[in-house]
Formats: sequence, C-alpha cells, structure tokens
Amino acid sequence: MAEKILQLKDISVEFNLRNGVLKAVDTASIDVYKGEILGIVGESGSGKSTLASTILNIVSPPGRISSGKILYKGKDILKMSAEELRHYRWQNVSMVFQAAQNSMNPVLKIKEQILETVAAHQDIPEKEVIDKARRLLEYVRLDAGQVLDSYPHQLSGGMKQRTIIAMSLLLDPDIIILDEPTTALDVITQAYIMDILKNIHEELGITMIFLSHDVSIVGKVADRIAVMYASNIVEIGTVDDIFYNSRHPYTRGLINAAPSLIDDVTKRRAIPGAPPNMMALPAGCRFSPRCSLCLEGHCRGSEQGKLTEVEQGHFTTCTKFERMEA
Amino acid sequence: MRWIKRLLLVITTVFFATTITFLLIRMMPGDPVENMAISMVHDQGIDYESAYRSAKAMLNYDPDVPILTQYTKYLSGLMKGNLGQSLIYKRDVKQIIGEALPWTLFVLSISLLLSFFIGIFLGMYIAWKRTTILDPILSAYTAIVGSIPEFVIAFLLIVFFSVKLKWFPSRGAYSSSVKPGFNMPYFLDVLNHAVLPITAYVLGGIGRWALNMKANAVSVLGEDYIVSARARGLREKRIITRYVGRNAMLPLVTNLAISFGMIFGGSPLIERLFVYPGVGYYMSQSISSRDYILMQGIFLMITVTVVLANVVAEILYSILDPRIRMEG
Amino acid sequence: MKSLKSFFNVIVRNKRACFGFIILVIFLLIAMIGTSIIPLPKETNYAERLQPPSLSHPLGTDYAGRDTLAQFVHGSKDVIILSFLTAIFTMVLAFIVGGISGAAGGKTDAILMFITNVILTVPSFPIMMVLSMLIKVTNPVTFALILSMWSWGGLARAIRSQILSFKRRDYIEASRILGLSLGHIVFKDMLPNMASYIAYHFIMIMKSAVTASVGLMVLGLAPFSSTHWGMMLNLAMGSTAALYGSSAIYYFLTPVIGIMLFQIGCLFFASGMDEAFNPRLRD
Repeated sequence: MAEKILQLKDISVEFNLRNGVLKAVDTASIDVYKGEILGIVGESGSGKSTLASTILNIVSPPGRISSGKILYKGKDILKMSAEELRHYRWQNVSMVFQAAQNSMNPVLKIKEQILETVAAHQDIPEKEVIDKARRLLEYVRLDAGQVLDSYPHQLSGGMKQRTIIAMSLLLDPDIIILDEPTTALDVITQAYIMDILKNIHEELGITMIFLSHDVSIVGKVADRIAVMYASNIVEIGTVDDIFYNSRHPYTRGLINAAPSLIDDVTKRRAIPGAPPNMMALPAGCRFSPRCSLCLEGHCRGSEQGKLTEVEQGHFTTCTKFERMEA
Repeated sequence: MRWIKRLLLVITTVFFATTITFLLIRMMPGDPVENMAISMVHDQGIDYESAYRSAKAMLNYDPDVPILTQYTKYLSGLMKGNLGQSLIYKRDVKQIIGEALPWTLFVLSISLLLSFFIGIFLGMYIAWKRTTILDPILSAYTAIVGSIPEFVIAFLLIVFFSVKLKWFPSRGAYSSSVKPGFNMPYFLDVLNHAVLPITAYVLGGIGRWALNMKANAVSVLGEDYIVSARARGLREKRIITRYVGRNAMLPLVTNLAISFGMIFGGSPLIERLFVYPGVGYYMSQSISSRDYILMQGIFLMITVTVVLANVVAEILYSILDPRIRMEG
Repeated sequence: MKSLKSFFNVIVRNKRACFGFIILVIFLLIAMIGTSIIPLPKETNYAERLQPPSLSHPLGTDYAGRDTLAQFVHGSKDVIILSFLTAIFTMVLAFIVGGISGAAGGKTDAILMFITNVILTVPSFPIMMVLSMLIKVTNPVTFALILSMWSWGGLARAIRSQILSFKRRDYIEASRILGLSLGHIVFKDMLPNMASYIAYHFIMIMKSAVTASVGLMVLGLAPFSSTHWGMMLNLAMGSTAALYGSSAIYYFLTPVIGIMLFQIGCLFFASGMDEAFNPRLRD
C-alpha cells in the first residue's frame, strides 16, 4: 500500500466579505499517495485553486484557513513556525501557476529569480545553481542561455510555463501542484507541456497534484481524480472509477459534457442550470437544483453529503448513488 | 534617430513656450517706465513727459519700440546667453536668478526628498499591514491638509511657532547678524530659517506621496507574482523590497523627476510669506512691479527645467522598467 | 432619467460620496437661499472692527466692522459660481482638444498634442498670475476663463487616450460593423462609460479652481469680488496685524474653514463616486 505523503483533513477556507462570509472550501478531506498523479477537477469558483493554495498555506487575504489540518509526512503544516513553513515551501512542495498569469517579477531577469529562489533555502554557490538551472531548462526543452538572460515579458506563454515548471523542480520537491498548467495555451503547446509533465513524473517520480476545469485533460494523466463542486469535494476515485463508473451526478454531467473526437457530438449534454451563488447556497445537497436524479424525482436533495465509500478507494457525497445507472 | 526627434521636440517646445510667455508678459497693462515716471512726477514735481524720458533713460528700456523688435532683441540676447538686466533691481537677471535659485532649491529639494521618502515608507507600511488604523488616519489627514491652502498652513506655522512660541524666525534665509560663508553659525542659522518653510511644504507633501504609494503597493500586492514569490519561500523582507517595492515605486519615480523640475519655480505664495529670497519671491516681485525682463528670465528658466525634467523622467522610467526599455 | 436615478443610488450607498455630496449641497443651499435672507453688509463701522462672535455677529466682524457671517454667505455664492464656471470651461476645452485629437489622428493630432505639451510645460500658476494682471477681472466669467485657460492640458491628454482606447474596443468595432452611426457610438457607447469619469473630473476641477483662485487673490490679483473667500482671506491676512493674537482670528478662520470644507466636500464626493463606479478600487 503506497505511503500517504499528504493528508488534508476537514479543511475549510473562509473569506470575510462585506456582505457575509464566503466559504471557498468547505470541510474538504483528501489523501495524496506518494508517487501518484492526483487530479482535481472543478469549474471556476469550485474552490480547487483555493484548496491547492492551502497546501502551501498561501491563501490570499482576506481569505484564511478557518479549520482543519494538513499533514505532510505526518506533520501539520498549519502549525509550523514561520521559518519551518518558509522552508517547506518550494523545498518540499512547489507549485506551477498558470502561465497566463504573471507569476514572475517583471523587473527581474529569470536568472536572478532562480538564484534568489535557491538562495532563500540553501547555501549553494552561484555557479552550481546556474548549472542546475540550465539542465532543468533544457529538460523542459528551452534554450537555457536565452531564457536565463531574459525578462518575463520577453517569453511567450508556453516558454513562461515551461520556465515556471523548471523553477518548480529547482529544489527537488516531493510534491508539485499544477494549477491549470495548460489553460490559456494553444492546443499544440498544451500537448507539448503535458508531454513534459508526464516525463517529469516518470523519470523523477515526483508526486503531482493536477488542477483543471477540463476533465479530459486530467483524465489523460491522472491516477486518481477528485471532483469539486461549490467548495465541496463530491467524489474521489481512480480514473477508471470516475470515467466509467462515476457515482455522482455532477461527475457524470461533466463527463457527458466533454466533447470527444470519436463520439457523436449530439450525445453531449450540458449540465442544466447555473453555477451556484456561493453567498446563498441551498441547504443540503448543493448540486440538487441541477441534478438529474433530483429533478427526475429520485432524490429530495436535502442531505448535505459526507464522503461515503462506495467501493475500495471510491468515495462520493451523493446519497442516492445506487440509483445511478452504471 | 529617436534622440534627434526628441531633441527637436524639446527645443521647439521651449521656443514656443518662451514666445507665448513673452507675448503675454508684454501685453500686461502698465509698464515700469510709466510706473517710474508717475512716481517721479509725485516726488519731484516735474511734468510727465520729462519724467517719462528720464525713466526711459534710467531703466534703459523703451516701451514704444515695436514688439517685434523687442522680441528679436530678446532672442538674440538669449543666443548669447544674456538674459537682460532687471528693470527694478538693476542687475543682470542671470545674477539674480543665480543667487535666488540655490535658496529655492535648498528648501524645496529637502522638502521633496523628505516628503517622498517618508511618504513611500508610510504608504508601503500601510499597504503591507492590511488592516491598520493608520489607513483611515492617512486618508483623513491628506484630505484635510490637502484642502487647506499651502500658504495658510505656512501662515499658521508662522503665527504659532514664530510669533507665539518664538522658536523659529519668520522671515529671510538667514539673519543679518550672521556672516555668510563656510562657517557653522551660518549653516545653523540657515537651517533655522529653513525649518518652517520646509515644514509647510512637507506637511502637505507627505500625505500625497503616501497615498500614491499605498495605492500602487496595494495593486502590486494583488498581483500573481507576489503570491508566487511567497510560494517559493522567499523571505518577507525580500518580497517587500524587490517585489512590491520596486514595482510599486516605478510610476512614483517619474513623478519625482517631474516634481524636481517644478521646484525650480519655487512657490511665489510661500516665499512671499516668509520673505524667503528664492525664485518664487522674485517672480512675485517682478510681476507686481512689471519688471518684464526679470519675469521673462524666470519664466524661461522654469520652462527649460520642466521640459528637461520631463525628458529625464521618461529616460528614468525606461531604465527602471525593463518592459519599456525593450521597445526601442 | 433612469440612469440619473441609478446614479443617485450609487452615491447614497457609498459613504464617502454621500458625505461629500451633503457638504456641497449645504454650501449650495447657503449660496442660493442664504444670500436672499442675509443682506450684504455695506456700511463700515470701525468702532466694531474685529469683534469676536456674538449674538448679532455669529462669526464676528471684519477689519471694517462688517459682519463676517454675511460676507461668508455671499462669498459662498461667488465660490460656487466661479468653480462651476471654471469646471465647465476647462472640460469643454479639454474635450474639444482631446476629442478632436483622438478622433482625427494624424497631423491634427500631432499639432494639438504639441500645443497641449506646451501648455503643460509652462507652470500654470505663474501664467495665471500674469493673465490676471493682463485681463481686468471684474466678473466670475472672466476669472473662470483665466483659470481654465492653462488647466485643460492634462485632461485633454487623458481624454485623447480614452478615445484612442475606445476606438479599439470590441464593442465599438461591433457597433461599427453593425453600421451604427457615429452619433450612436458617441452617445450610446462611449459617453455612458465616461459619465463617471466626467463627473469625477468636474468636481476635482472645482476643487482646484478654489485653490487657484484663493492663491491668486491672496497675492492681490483678480479682485473681482470682495466677498469671495479668497478675498476675505487676503484682507484677513493683510490688514489685520492684530491677527497675531486676538479676536481677529475668527475673521481669518472663517474663510479658511469654508475653503477647507468645500474642498473636502469636493474630494470626498469625487473619490467616493470613483470608488463606487470603479469597484475594483475597493479593497
């Protein structure tokens, strides 16, 4: 049985806004196994990015982690001292943000940002750091010489993304979180980057947590998938479980909505209804206003789900999952 | 190629500005010859025509010469670096400006630097520590102090600290009892006289710079590269200086350069109030006594310095912001 | 009309804008109603000069024994009219120059922008000093013209760049493709977006008009009215050496506080509006 490298237990993140409290993540619990690729799927606003940011404890104010524990190799990172936390970041767990965002300081050269990242944690001579940086940049198929001397705005989206990936490997972390690493890139670059990521996983054996709103992309690389909806984790399972035997109507909806090259497009079904208003959530099951089971009268939708195990390792919050056709 | 274009633009701007000010100044009613003639008539009881002739001779200025001739005379003088002779002070304009400018620069650059540095520290601090009581205090302070005219603040400072408490002198750049030169008593005396004027400027200035910096810093703090810097485990101090600080200060540096350009004009109101012999003081004197030549000289100097300051500001910005530097 | 109502809704909800708005409205009322209720004191009464506040003179008297409050009330009318006119003139000039420059482009743009640069280069206060001696100022219209003549530069540039960016915006493209007329584009697409921008700058120009006019009057220039607060301030600072002590302080403070409150009102109203219409500025 693989070792659990990261465990999130009942994590909640709250934002104190002018007109109320927004719970971006509501008692989420999930385990991450060493060496796996865990995909987290959810639409915009589902809370997946916020959840990911809790793992590094970098939730942006006015948000804050209001309850729960995050155990990294058994140690609760939320209770770490400032220095321990600072070293935990990037050395143990690193993160790849979206390339479309400007995740690099616009006034510093890539070289400087790499050097300062390493210098913040370890005392390694500059030459060694640059050598390693070169190797990593070449690993992600970039021209190291050119990139190192450039400013972020001089790189294309794909180049920036690959640079960020290279930077995430700088300190040989155990876990890399990838937040929509290929969104906002064209399809060809997307495939390229996915390829690189697969290589990293195979060759370096790094545990990866992959976030995306696109379930088909996640399905291509992940071992297990967690699905989020309205700040809850509603289903967890292996890729096969999720795609072929999903036990939550929302997941079904997602998969049915995703187009495929080989399938008949008329078979695609959009999920009816609109995304939930996070400030005015329905009592009980949050998906009920749009749930096909519920709408067809098979469920009152009044119970707020807790994750229950359907089969080994396959969890769902749907209380009427037996009603779902295989 | 761009340099030449830029230089041409600078020269033409200065040229036009000078011409416009020349025209405006010459269009003012009343002239020094007339003023002098009238006072001569009063004091000496001679008739107006003779007084007028004497005045013309004394001031070496003939207002009846056509404007175009006056203009060309002025321009040709400029080419030789001659700014003319002040009509009321009877000295070279260059000399007067040369003596007045250091005083203005002294007081205003200290004020500017003080306001700037205190302001950006304050703004940065407030932005970084998201909820602090300093935020509404700063806003209220800037609103109130910014709504009181600067010279009123100066006036109140004089009334309070100079007249009532007698802590600081209220006029001049230095006391007549002190001998100017490289000696300590002189320096201390000069500083003593500069305290109130500097305070008057700084009180208003701090608020503006702080608010500006705070706004910039707050928007930079919301950027993704700040979150990513934290995620990389960089030390707070580094994030504050190299990430937030450098990016937030960029636009302010150009403001600073432009502000430097503006200080060459001094502040007529405050310098008049403190009877501080700076450029602003002489400007206000020259306007009230219709001393065209002096007025022109001062205006010209102000125009040139502002234009130059703008150029410097542009250059500075392109040096500091690599995004702009690249677009040759 | 509907947009006017929603405009007021926004203001009411924002505390700052509300506060500023109320202050300005109070001054407006003082100016409109106060001037008909309280007569302007004409006679001098040197026996009563520089009195502290009392029942008959709630704010004391001036250097010539006239009621300070009455002068203040009439002065508010001068201040409001002057600031309002200045704002109108400045905005009209800025819109004309910036608008033509942005819309026409090419040579016209280059020339107009060059002129704007010259205007921006020569510092405006000294020019206003010269202008106010050049042109005899006897009424607020002339004074407003002087104040606005050198102040439209920055706004013109900003309007021009707004127009330039509008030209490229998608919904303008869409309107053009749909064949909608230029008039429609200007009035239905661009202006509503600029409404808050215009309102903000209008109020801020009013604020700076007060600053500039007071500055000029304290220097003894542009004496178009004896009750404008700037003039009151000039007289208070000049002819009352007794300020360094006594009850003359009320005569001095009255215009100061008036100026202060008016400008704060403008500031809060404008920035509150800005905050309300540009929510991304909120924390």
